Amino acid sequence: MSRKVLIVDDEDDIREVAALSLESVAGWQVVTASSGAEAIRRAQEEKPDAILLDVMMPVMDGPTTFRQMQANPELATIPVLLLTAKVQASDQRAFADLGVRAVLSKPFDPMQLASKIAFVLGWS
Amino acid sequence: MDAESHSALSAALDQLWARFLPQMRERVAVLEAAAAACAEGRLNATETEAAHAAAHKLAGSLGSFNLTHGTVLARELELLYSVGDVPGRELGPQLTAHAAELRTLIEHR
Repeated sequence: MSRKVLIVDDEDDIREVAALSLESVAGWQVVTASSGAEAIRRAQEEKPDAILLDVMMPVMDGPTTFRQMQANPELATIPVLLLTAKVQASDQRAFADLGVRAVLSKPFDPMQLASKIAFVLGWS
Repeated sequence: MDAESHSALSAALDQLWARFLPQMRERVAVLEAAAAACAEGRLNATETEAAHAAAHKLAGSLGSFNLTHGTVLARELELLYSVGDVPGRELGPQLTAHAAELRTLIEHR
């Protein structure tokens, strides 16, 4: 089944590697955003099946973007997976406590990213 | 994932790497400049913050391009350039060596 995933990251190399991975490995449709504000707008327009959201972004970081999405009834049911280069367990726990579906680490293996997302979300 | 798809993805990643190599070089240049400033005892808070950001970005991306050791080095630099804590001059050789190793890694990928 084809899925649509919104990838949000201010770093264009990360966005493009993730997009390449999800499109070519899983055959999913990908839309992208480079900021929290753009992510909220794109999520409303595109109604993705899931959102892959970077933690550290300027102006509006990932956790703040997630909270704003949760406060919006149109977006609150879309599963969000945080993507972070922070490796300390305390950071990872704090992010998980936000209520996101998963916290994925950067760097990710482009060969494995789609299967990790599918596993977390129960997509067959 | 079959061998053909794996090979196609690897080739596409190589193309992306070629496109983003100038950006990687810029990030390493920031680290080289900060290391040189540290070794000379003139590293300031602004350069430290820039080096921390460059190291964080490299740590988050190099591994996705099969440069796992690059991510390890960049993570160490990210810690050494912790924001609000300018590294002392005694760390200059270590910062310089890590930046040089990162330069070699990205130029020889």
